[in-house]
Amino acid sequence: MGLAIEVDGLTKRFGVVQALRGLDLAVPTGEVVGFLGPNGSGKSTTIRILLGLLHADGGRATVLGGDPWVDAVRLHRSIAYVPSDVNLWPNLTGGEAIDILARLSAPLEPARRAAMLERFELDPTKKARTYSKGNRQKVALVAALASRADLLVLDEPTSGLDPLMEAVFTDAVREVKAEGRSVLLSSHIFAEVEKLADRVTIIREGAAVESGTIAELRHLTRSQVTVAVDAGADRLAALAGVHDLHQQDDHVTFAVDEAELPSVLAAVAALQPRSLVANPPSLEELFLRHYGDDLAAAERRATAADREGARS
Amino acid sequence: MTAVSTRPAAPAPAPTPDAASQARRPADPFAGIGAALRLVVRRNRVRLVTWLYVVVGLFAYVAVYYRSIFDTQQSLDDFARVSDTPAIKALTGLEAAPNTMGGAVWTKIWMTCALCLMLGVAFLVTRSGRADEELGRTELLRAHMLGIHAYSTAAWLVNAALCLACGVGVAVASILLELDPDGAGVTGSLVLGASIAGVGAVALGVAAVANQVATTSRGANMIGAAVIGAFYVLRMLGDLGDGRLTWVSPIGWGQEMQPWGANRWWVLALLLGLTVVLHLVALRLEVRRDLGAGLVADRPGPARAPERWTRPLGLSLRLQRGPIIGWSVAVLLSAVLFGSVVDAMTDLLDDASSTMTDVIGGTGVDDLVALLVEIIALVVSVFAVQTALALRTDEAAGMAELQLAGAVPRARWALDRLVIPAVGSAALLVVSGALLGWSYGASTGSAGQVGSLALAALAYWPAVMVVVGVAVVLFGWAPRVAVAATWAVVGAMWVVVVVGPALRLPDWLLDALPFAATPAQPAEPFSWTPVVVLAAVAAVLVWLGVDRFRRRDVVTA
Repeated sequence: MGLAIEVDGLTKRFGVVQALRGLDLAVPTGEVVGFLGPNGSGKSTTIRILLGLLHADGGRATVLGGDPWVDAVRLHRSIAYVPSDVNLWPNLTGGEAIDILARLSAPLEPARRAAMLERFELDPTKKARTYSKGNRQKVALVAALASRADLLVLDEPTSGLDPLMEAVFTDAVREVKAEGRSVLLSSHIFAEVEKLADRVTIIREGAAVESGTIAELRHLTRSQVTVAVDAGADRLAALAGVHDLHQQDDHVTFAVDEAELPSVLAAVAALQPRSLVANPPSLEELFLRHYGDDLAAAERRATAADREGARS
Repeated sequence: MTAVSTRPAAPAPAPTPDAASQARRPADPFAGIGAALRLVVRRNRVRLVTWLYVVVGLFAYVAVYYRSIFDTQQSLDDFARVSDTPAIKALTGLEAAPNTMGGAVWTKIWMTCALCLMLGVAFLVTRSGRADEELGRTELLRAHMLGIHAYSTAAWLVNAALCLACGVGVAVASILLELDPDGAGVTGSLVLGASIAGVGAVALGVAAVANQVATTSRGANMIGAAVIGAFYVLRMLGDLGDGRLTWVSPIGWGQEMQPWGANRWWVLALLLGLTVVLHLVALRLEVRRDLGAGLVADRPGPARAPERWTRPLGLSLRLQRGPIIGWSVAVLLSAVLFGSVVDAMTDLLDDASSTMTDVIGGTGVDDLVALLVEIIALVVSVFAVQTALALRTDEAAGMAELQLAGAVPRARWALDRLVIPAVGSAALLVVSGALLGWSYGASTGSAGQVGSLALAALAYWPAVMVVVGVAVVLFGWAPRVAVAATWAVVGAMWVVVVVGPALRLPDWLLDALPFAATPAQPAEPFSWTPVVVLAAVAAVLVWLGVDRFRRRDVVTA
């Protein structure tokens, strides 16, 4: 199986700000890859490089086998893009905007276009200036999802959409995947990525910090367990693999490392719990572990490094 | 500079982005230009037709009018004598075969048509250029099969077509109205059309580069307008002086084509050559920079805002810093330059025949000085209107909502911001009048002009504020069209100053317009009545607009 997107050690600097510091990223053909990271971590910069809108300072990027900067036009026939913030021409209607975009790619089949308009409940006869943010987003989504593109690059595509439309979007992306097409889905909505993505790459300060299938990444994190026991909760705290134990009345809540789960559950069973709730590890917790704990410290380091760089 | 100095410090010869982009040029740079052309035409169709009508219509109107008033060769000869006076040359440029019908029309209206087309083209290029890029629309397009130069080139081609259409339209109007002398063929009309199209093309090149250099659409428009303004001032100084500076300015080149006179076709090659060079520079810049970026990367700024920015006035002083500084430099520099040429004119007028001074009335020098003061006042009114219209542009962009959601009353928000056009224009008038007087006095050795010309310029303040009042009324009552309509009013005022009586408007109306009503010192004596009336009108207009804004919805774009 080939790679729709292959990124190797990508670097990009804007003035004194180092936006990408050697990013690696891969999207296997036919898969949906989630691209997670906080605001300002370099997601959109990466996507703009992949679209040939910016040129990288260093490293290598290959999209559908071509160079995104040199072959931009040829590659874009097979790429559909939804930006995170869609701005349209205020005096043109949504339908006109879709057709203008379609004219610059492989033509849309009228039936697919109509079906997508219907599913997203978008009125194509309204002027773009009267659209809300969500409706402007729908224009770009309809144009992208109605296309036959081999690769969809979606930059926070559901920002501004209501939950019903998010569900429509999820279904549409599943259909795209079922047709064997590839998707790069940048987002910070974890539920969306967990539902859709085969793989996830987490980016932080311009470099990938985690990368793998969702199942692999889950191994890196902890399940959340809540039990109701009459006594002996303090014994749990001493077990290997148990973290952040809190006790309120007879309810005990703690996190367990995936690897220690069998032994911890055996110890819990020995306490004869009256009830037990276990939540599987979520991407969100993984994400928070990567960013929450030492984010502030890391930022201080990065800023200091930037200053060093600017001075030299 | 920081951005540049950070990278090459590393000893390893790592390829810099510039080197990389030179080695690897994007393929198919013009792909998708057909679709881009259709989009540019679709978005600008009303504007394109409007500018074509303005330029060709203005020319045809004046031509028809002149045919009706200059019915004998004697009248044309009389006009030819007037058209060589400094005041006319300063405003509308050099004469060309002034004793012919075409030459008379040329003197009257060519400069206005040329400036209209140049500014129109500059703004239209920005609309499809930096404005779309700033808002992310270009990114949306370029993610499709659109080559790196396709969208910008489409905008240039459409505007080139507008220049060509204006040139052809003016030439056809000239032929149909029989401006060419009998038996001379239509060469003069064709040269005329080519001169209009040629200066328009140069403005297109200037705008193409400005759109690559600036990071905002406002910046691109400012650069474009400033360069065109510099062309105008350069050729004014050249026309009034020994003519050398005329050849430095592309507008001067257009004048030197001299239809019906020298009929210099070869100057068109200069205009088109410069156009081509400017576009090549723009293409080169476009491939070397990132989408959305200018030539200089943004640098980190202060992390905290000073306390004074919590007031609308404090904040808008910061937001308008660029225009305030830019306009101040432009106006004050112009005043000094204007003052320095008056002296040369004095000698010229002393030598002139008595018939000529009779024709232009008064002593001539006073008339010229009065005209220069009026031009300065008109330029200051453009500054005042631009800063006043920030009311609407901030509202349209949604920034007014952010502020008004705080504890700021609407009227206070609007009035606070109007302090900048009000105080700014008064200060600019006084200082530029004084500088004009100083520069003029320095060349003649009399110091008495500083105070009197400062007051002469300040007398235009109520007139400037009436124009600001018009902007505020439109902002209050017709927010969606306020920006376009206000600039149309400003443009119409310029046309009235230049074309004047040819519009066949009733005299009382012409005299009542703010700039005509203000006493044109030193040519006319000062009088309180018009100044007080204008100030009252301005106050009422501002009150009407602000009061309406308090009651109406906040309308975003």
